[in-house]
Formats: sequence, C-alpha cells, structure tokens
Amino acid sequence: MSNYLLAWIVLIPFVSSVILGISYLYSIKVKKISNKFFTFLALLAPMSSFVLGVGFFFGLKNGVSEYLYEPYTWLGVDNYIINMGFLGDKLSIFMVLFITFIGSMIHIYAAGYMKEDEGYGKFFAYFNLFVASMLLLVLANSPLIMFIGWEGVGLCSYLLIGFYFSEPLNVVAGNKAFIANRVGDFGFLVGILFLFVYVGKLGFSYGALEEYVGIVPNHILVIIGVSLFIGAMGKSAQIPLYVWLPDAMAGPTPVSALIHAATMVTAGVYMVARFHFIYDLIPSVGVFIAYIGAFSALYAAIIAMRQTDIKKILAYSTISQLGYMFIAVGLGAYSSGLFHVFTHAFFKALLFMGAGAIIIALHHEQNIFKMGGLRKRLPLIYIVMLVANLAISGIPPFAGFFSKDEILLKAYEHQEYLIYGIGLFTAALTSYYMFRFFFVTFEGKNYISKNLEPISASMKIPLVILAIGATFSGFVGLPEVFGGTNMIHQWLSNWSVDSTHVENFKEIVLMGISVAAGLIGIAVAYVKFFKYDFNQDIKESGIIYNKFYIDELIDFLIIRRVRQISVFVSVVVDDGIIDKTVMLLSSGFINLGRRVGRMQSANTRAYAFFMLIGLSSFSLYLIFKLG
Amino acid sequence: MEVSFMSYILLAIILFSMGIIGVISRKNIFIVYMSLELMLNSINLMLVTLSKHFGNMDGQIMAMMVIAIAAAEAAIFLSLIVALYKLKHSINIDDYNTLKQKGTL
Amino acid sequence: MHIGLLTFIIFLPLVMAFILMVLPISMKLTRNIAFLTTIVVFLLSLSIFLRFRLTDYMQFREFHPWISTYGIYYSLGVDGFSMIILMLITTLIPVGYLFLWKTRKSKGYWASMLLMQTGVTGALLSLDLILFYFFWESMLLPVFMIIGIYGSGNRIFSTLKITIYTIMGSLFMLVSILYLGVQFYNEFGVWSFQLSDLVQITIMSPTQQTLLFFGFIIAFAIKIPLFPFHTWLMQTYSNSPTGGVFILSSIMAKLGIYGIVRFVLPLFPHQYVEFAPYFMWLGVFGLIYFGVAALMQQNIKRMFAYSSASHLSLITAGIFSLNIYGMTGAAFLIAAHAMATGGLFLLVGTIEHDLGIRSISGLGGIAKKAPLLTVAFALMILSIVGLPGTNGFVSEFLIVLGLFKYNNFIGIVSATTVLVAASFMFWMFQRAILVKTDNNISKMKDLDKKEIIGIFGLAVVIIAMGLYPHWFLYKIEPTLQHYLVDILKVGVSS
Repeated sequence: MSNYLLAWIVLIPFVSSVILGISYLYSIKVKKISNKFFTFLALLAPMSSFVLGVGFFFGLKNGVSEYLYEPYTWLGVDNYIINMGFLGDKLSIFMVLFITFIGSMIHIYAAGYMKEDEGYGKFFAYFNLFVASMLLLVLANSPLIMFIGWEGVGLCSYLLIGFYFSEPLNVVAGNKAFIANRVGDFGFLVGILFLFVYVGKLGFSYGALEEYVGIVPNHILVIIGVSLFIGAMGKSAQIPLYVWLPDAMAGPTPVSALIHAATMVTAGVYMVARFHFIYDLIPSVGVFIAYIGAFSALYAAIIAMRQTDIKKILAYSTISQLGYMFIAVGLGAYSSGLFHVFTHAFFKALLFMGAGAIIIALHHEQNIFKMGGLRKRLPLIYIVMLVANLAISGIPPFAGFFSKDEILLKAYEHQEYLIYGIGLFTAALTSYYMFRFFFVTFEGKNYISKNLEPISASMKIPLVILAIGATFSGFVGLPEVFGGTNMIHQWLSNWSVDSTHVENFKEIVLMGISVAAGLIGIAVAYVKFFKYDFNQDIKESGIIYNKFYIDELIDFLIIRRVRQISVFVSVVVDDGIIDKTVMLLSSGFINLGRRVGRMQSANTRAYAFFMLIGLSSFSLYLIFKLG
Repeated sequence: MEVSFMSYILLAIILFSMGIIGVISRKNIFIVYMSLELMLNSINLMLVTLSKHFGNMDGQIMAMMVIAIAAAEAAIFLSLIVALYKLKHSINIDDYNTLKQKGTL
Repeated sequence: MHIGLLTFIIFLPLVMAFILMVLPISMKLTRNIAFLTTIVVFLLSLSIFLRFRLTDYMQFREFHPWISTYGIYYSLGVDGFSMIILMLITTLIPVGYLFLWKTRKSKGYWASMLLMQTGVTGALLSLDLILFYFFWESMLLPVFMIIGIYGSGNRIFSTLKITIYTIMGSLFMLVSILYLGVQFYNEFGVWSFQLSDLVQITIMSPTQQTLLFFGFIIAFAIKIPLFPFHTWLMQTYSNSPTGGVFILSSIMAKLGIYGIVRFVLPLFPHQYVEFAPYFMWLGVFGLIYFGVAALMQQNIKRMFAYSSASHLSLITAGIFSLNIYGMTGAAFLIAAHAMATGGLFLLVGTIEHDLGIRSISGLGGIAKKAPLLTVAFALMILSIVGLPGTNGFVSEFLIVLGLFKYNNFIGIVSATTVLVAASFMFWMFQRAILVKTDNNISKMKDLDKKEIIGIFGLAVVIIAMGLYPHWFLYKIEPTLQHYLVDILKVGVSS
C-alpha cells in the first residue's frame, strides 16, 4: 500500500460529505434529488475507507512497521513545525478497521431508519463528516492534527444531536454536549500547549514526542497527563463531564449508536493509549485515571438501574463501560482497554440499533414500561438483543466476557483491589439493569396492542452481522489460559505491558467469580421483572432516578451564576460604572461649554469691553515683559 | 509757540479713550460708528506725530492709507446700517442679538 | 513624477467617489461602478500580494514631498504585516458590497463607502506620521455619515459618541506626533515626520517616552477598543446600519491593532517591552470580561460587539506577547476574526433587512426558512469559536501558545478562549436561528445569488486558512521576526 492512500481514508468520507451537503442544499433549494443518490454516496464512503484500511492491515501484518504520509507543512512558525501528517501504525489501523466497519454497518442501518426523513441527505452529510473526523483523529500524526479530528467529531455530535433543531430540547442537548466537550477541550489544549512549549521545538509528531518526552520535568508531565485526561473526560463522558451523554440521546438512534456508543466516546481511550509514552512515566496519574474510570462505571450503573427510557439506560451503560476501559488504560493495560473498545463497539452498537428498531416498531415509544411482550412480535430483535445483553453482562462465550474479564484481571494483577471490587460489583449491576430492560421489554404481557411498524431489511442485515460480531469478536482476544493466543495483545504489542501474571488457577477462579457476578445480576432481574405486572402504574422516582440531581446542581451552581455575573457585568459595570464615567466626563465638558457660552450675551458693548480688557492686558504684559 | 511732542500724543490718547468709551457705552449704531472713526483718527494723529518726530515718512504713508480705507469702510458701514434698519426698524445695537446663546446644546 | 501601485489603491476609490457624486447617474449605476472599483482595487492588491518578496523591509515604496517646509512627505510602503491586512480589507469590502446590494440607499451611501476605503487603506499604507494622522481621521468622516444618516435608534447620539470619543483619543496621538517631530528637529536640525527618521531620536528621557507611548496607546486603545475604553462600541454597533458596523468591526478595529504594531512598537521599544505584561493581562481580562458580558445580551449586534471586543482583546494580548507565536497568531486572528465577524454582521444585516430590527427572543425558526443563511451563519460562528479546521483555531492556538511561552499561568487563563465564545455563540444560534418559535418570520428570505457568492467565497477562505495556514502565514514571518529581533531586541521566542 502506498503511503498517500492513508490520506484518502480520511479524504473519501470528507469529500463525500461535502458533496452530500451541497447536493442536499441543492435538493431543497432547487430540484429534488432522489434518496438513492444520497444512499449510494453515503454508503460508498465508509466502505471504501474500510477496504483501504484492510489493505493497510495486511501491509502491517506482513511486516511493514508503520506507514507515514506527510503531504505538507500545516503550520510552521519559527522552529515549531507541524506537518499535516497521517500515521498508519498498528493502533491507528486497528481503530480505522473497527470504526469503518461499525460505521458501514450503522450507515446501512441508518439508510433504513431515516428513509422517510426529509433531512435524509443532510443526515448522511453529517454522518460522513463524522466518519472523516473520527478517522482523522485516529490517523493523525501529531496531537494538533488529532485535535482537528477531535473537535470535528464534537461538532458532528452537536449537529446530529440537534438534528431536529426545531425542537428546543434537542438543540439544548446539543449545546450541552458541545460545551461539556469544550470544557474537556480546554484541558486537552492546555495539555498540548505544555507539551508544545517543552518539546515542540524538537518536533511534534508522536514519534518525536515519544523520543524527547524524557526532557520534560516530572511535575510538568503530571500536569500534561491530567490536562490531557480532562479532554478524555469530556469526550468519553467520565465523571464529572459525563452529563452531556444521556441528553445526547435526543439525536436519532443511529447517531447514538455510531457516535455516542461505538466510536466517538472511545476517542478518549484511544488518546490515552496514543499518549502511553507520557502515562507510562507518570503511573500515579494512571491510577487516578483508573479510579475515575471505576467510579464512573459504578456511578453510571447505579443510575441506569432506575431509568425508564430505553436509550437513557443504554447511555448510562455506555458511560459505565467506558469506565472499564479507563480502568484498563489507567493501569497501563492499553491493549486490554482497546480490546474492550473493540468488543464494546459491537455489542453497544447492536444494542442501540436493536433499541432503534424497537422504537421504530412501536411508533417512537421509548419508555420501557410501555413495551412488553415483544419476544413473539419481534423475534429477530429478541435474539440479537439477547446476544448483546449476554455480551455486555460478561457471560461466556460472548464478546464482553473476554474483554471485561481481562480488565478486572488486570486490576487484580496490579493489586488495585478496590478498583477490582468496584469493577466486579458494577459487573453485577450491569447484568441486572440490562436484563431488567430486557425482561421488561420482551417478556411479560403485551402492553401495546397497536400494529407494529415493519422493520426494513436494511435495518435487519446489520443487526445480524453485528450480532455475529458480538458473539465471536471476543475470540480474537482469547486468554492464554484457554490455550488461545491473544491476537489483540500480539497486534498491539507496543501497547501491552507485561506485568506479573497471576497463575492460571487463580485466573480461572477470578473468571468464575466475575461470571457468577453477572449471573447473579441476571437472576435478580429475572426474579423482579420477568413476570412484571404492567397494569400497575409505574412511576420511578427518587434520588437515583433523578440522577442524583447533578443536572439541577450544575444549573444552580454554575449556569445561573454565570448568567447573573453576565448581567452584572453588562448592566452594572459596563453601563453603570464605565459608561457613566465616560458620560460624566462628557457632560462636564458640556456644562463647561454652557457656562462659557453665557459670555456670548449678544451685547455688542460687552464684547467691546472684553476686547478692551483683553488687548490692554496683553499690551501691559508685553510692556512689562519686553520693556 | 512750539507745541510739544507730548501734547500731540496726549491728544491722541484722549481721543482714543473717548472713542473706546463711546463704543462701549453707547447704544446708537451711528454713535458707535462715529466713536470707531474717532479711534481711527486718533491713531492717524499718532502716526503722523511719530513720523514727524523721527523724520521718517512711513507713518504718514500709513495714515494716508488708513484714511483711504476708512472712507471705503464708511461706505460699506453706512449701507450695512441701512440694511439693518430695514430688517428690524431699529438702530439700537442691543436689538441685534441673534447669535445669543439660548437653551441647551 | 512616479506614481506607484499603492497610490492607485488608495486614491482610486476617492476619485471614483467624486466622479460618481458629480455625474447625474442613478443610485444603481453608482453602486455598480463602486463595486467595480472595489474589485479593481482588490486585483491591484492581489498583484501586490503575489509579487511580495519574502523579506522584512518595506516594499513598493513611494516617496514624494508634500509639505517640505516641515519635512512632511507623502510616503507609502507595505511590509508583511500590513500586506495581510491590505489583502483582508480589499477582499472584505467587495464581499460587503454584495450584501449591501439590496439595501435601497442613496448615492451618498456608496460614495461614503468609497471614501471610507480610501481612508483605511491610506492609514494602512502611510509611513509618515502626519500623513497617517490625516488618513486616520479622514476615515471617521464617512463612518460619521453612514451611521448618522442611515442608522437606526438613537443614531445621532451614537455618531457623536464615536466621533468625539475617537477624535479625543486621536488628539493625544497628534500631540505626541508633533512632540516627536519637534524632538527630531532639536536633535538633528531638520524637520521630519518619517517613521524611519523618528525612531532615531535619542534625546528623550524615559519619562517623556512613556508619556508619548501612552499618548499613542490611548488613541489606538479607543479604536480597538480595549477595556475600559469600549462603551462607545456597544451603542454604535447596535444603532449602526449593516455597512457601518461591518466596516467598524472588521476593518477599523483592526487598524487600531495595526497602529500599535506599526508605530508604537518601533517608536518606543523599551516601553513596549516594559508594559507588555500589563497589556497581556489587560487583553486576557478583556477576553473573559467581554465574553461574559456577551452572554446575556438581547440584541444580536450588541452581543457581537461584545464578542468582537473579546477577540480584539485576545489579539492585543497576542501582539504584546513578545514572541513570534503570539504575534503571528495575532496577525492571523486579525484576518480570521475580520472575516468571521464581518460575515456575521452581514448575515445579521440580511435578517434585519427582511424582518426589521429584533431582539434575539423575537427571532427563531430561521433555519427552516433560510437554510443557506443558516449554513453560512454556522460556519462563521465556528470560526469565531475557534473550531480546528477553521482559521480561528490556528490563530487562537498561536496566541495562546505565545502567552504560554511568556508565562504558563496567563497561558492557561487565555486558553479559556475555547469556552468563552462557544458558550454565548451557540446559545444565541439556538435561540435566534434554530429553534422554532411563535414569532412571525414569514418575510424571511434565503440568501440570493450575490450573497451566496460573497459569503461562501469567504467561507472557503476561512476553511482553506484553517486547513493550510502555513501558506498564508509564511509571508508575515520575516517582518515579525524583524520587529522582535531588530527592534524590540527580545529574540524570536523569549
């Protein structure tokens, strides 16, 4: 594969997005363009990128160490030179593969989901732009270029959350996402700048950074590590910047599947892995990250237990699963974290797409307590959702088991028993709330008697493919204890740390414990919800249902205060003090003018008198001065 | 009897002061005008005196010029007074106060 | 007598303005010819850009005696820094014309626009301080007429306020200029107001220099405007017609910055370095102060006024950062911000044209009626909030980097720029453009062909500058290096 093709992985979706956008505008302003054109172009882009990605994959497999393409100098001031560069190493191609694959699947699904929407072309323009930005994020060769993609995905997320922008709530959710992300970006930018100031002169590609990161003093490195992680908190919805993700579910379901579950939110994990050479030097920050991850996992799982909106449950479960990933990358087990990114993409996308199918079938009903008995009516959805639920609950042999278990194992190996305990407990909670949703939706009495909306084939096919993926994708990372070779670790050998391994027997026992935790959760859910009585009025309430009132707290503590300050600044300080002072000065001049003006009495004789006085005093002055 | 140099100067100063007092204190435009002429002529007197005293003709030339210009000026001044009178039927100088500061800016 | 390209650029609009006013032709023909004039000027300055050599000294010099008794010369020249602003002005003005096209204004309006162009390009290109002062004041006159005659609300008062405020500031500068001239005469025995001559004065005490330094700074600070000289801005922006606010925000304010770099920096290098930290802090303070104040504004133009002030404060911080990154970033942000904010004002102008003047809560639902306008509006906002991929990001990044170089803490504070603009811009966008409300907006029309060409041309430049900034930046760098190394003597990256 030629190096320059790397750029085309990004360029194809980007160009496609621009064409889609322009033709969409053309279509609404001038002449209608058929949806087929949009579909064709939209699907072509991620698939072409996928094909290119596969090509690079085999290139790397056959021994090429990395591909590098730097077409031009992006920014060069003095001796800080940043090239527009694309780096295809094992990590980025790994990311490219699953992004384009899952992306293609969700594109196919969205073609069915959105088919009657008037913003069809616009939707795919945004979608392709998202894919392009995401690919730029992972393929970038320097943190600044990565930041372009990083913000690009944030922008697409904003645009897609507020896709139905006539509704205030959607736009508000979009704004919230954008601003929360911007708070993170602030941290990210500060991190980049520190890095830039200390090592930028020696080059700012990842390679150069890795080589020279040693010259940065350790306390600065800690600041850099924490700042960059603040960026990850924003993008990957970790405590305390997670608040935007549940609201982001206002967007169409394929958006939630692609952006807010499978790809964009994992950018933070990717970023930490990409900067592993920094985090390797500051293990204390790594542990901090792991704790943030663990608490996010637990916290989100607790909230998810009481939610009633199907997409909100999945949103919180995403936060929770992202927490697991951060446990792994925080502890330096980057490949384990990325393994979970990989499997999670399959089953979470599957969950969202299944949920989307249910929502479509039930005429946009999202409250799980208004569903029920869907097993017989939507058998295919039932099966794929069962697969996905088993996968997320960590039941072997489904994908989630391998990756999640590995993370817990790593926590145990690093002797972070608190994190291990939290992770294990969260695993139990996860299977509980997932199966709560599952049983309530699919079992029990039929709550909705209306006819179901048919689900189109283009929605079903990706579901099946992803279900297969969710079942088997775990096997690429088969633990060695089962006699397999962990291909993920092999592939990402630069990113996997060889720490002390526990002995095989202990590993099996730990696996047994985590499977048991998952099964307990399922059992509790079964008891409570399998035969749920739908006739009773279901009203969830309480502090957990209200998400610990964090949104209200932020609104009260920050947003309202800022608004008050704003009014204070513009009304009191600006108009009241500064402008008053200016106007006081000017009215002083006006008063002075008025007083002097009184001398202009139109009394000619007085004028003559003034002249006399003036001239004589002037003459006297001259006489005394000169004479 | 030789009239002393100082008395010419004194006369000129007296005439000038009378002119000034006339300009300042009188309301009738004609009288103001005549007072102005008085002042001009007192200056003429002074110019001529000084010219004589220093034996230099510059002062006398200047005085001739002032007289010529004063004549021209008289024509303009009188016609202006007629025009003003047509405007307001008054030759009281206090009636012409259009440029007075009024009200606020 | 040799007449150069720069003279044509400056005086072509003036000559055309007189011809157009004298000839008995219709308003439309006047407008068309005026537009053609700006296009010709644009082509002339483009040829300057392309033939510009990569060095730090003044190019395309013109030098003729004007008032030779007092050593006042008609002296013009362009270097890397003024070239980028020249390109900016001559590109933006035709775009502005495309948007002002449909406003049914009289011939005088278009003549004023041409006069204004002469004023700003003249001030930009002159190297003689008296000549500069002449142009600097003369560019106020057309603005006075545009706002006073075609404005809205309390327009007379706003006009008086801006005029008196800025002239007041300029007087300090005039006194300083004359004082410098006298000092030069005292030292060398000849009169000169040439910038290159005045920098050679050595007989002034530090106190004198500091006083003169502030004399200049006040004039420019009012024009920019810097805190606390900004209150004229909000009033003027909200009462001025689209054309006026467009010129004020995207062109005149930038000339304030330009003046500091062109005159204050070489004339008073010691004071410049000495007071730089204060101005950096003032800039960063202004960035946050104006940003916060913008949040709750009800009038879009007023909000943009605060937003402009916020960014201009950041630019000021950049030019005082005493290293190449901050200064390059500032130069780039001058261009980026002028394009984005100018575009926004023009778009708001079309909304006002269709719907009348309304507060933000009186708008809403425009996105459905006018999708093209919305797309353009969004692009401009993205540049303002500094989204990577637009020119806004590159410039803000460089400025923040420059401040970081100076001091980590101020760097961190200035990095809040990513948050400040985003918070109010997106909120405004939501309320005014996107969300559907009960307000009657049936009169809203989408952009017409001319406006599409203008605004999307601008958008393409904005994105091109974001994706390939180096191509636009490398011509400024030698000039700025010259400032830093040879004049301020602080080195490229202190």
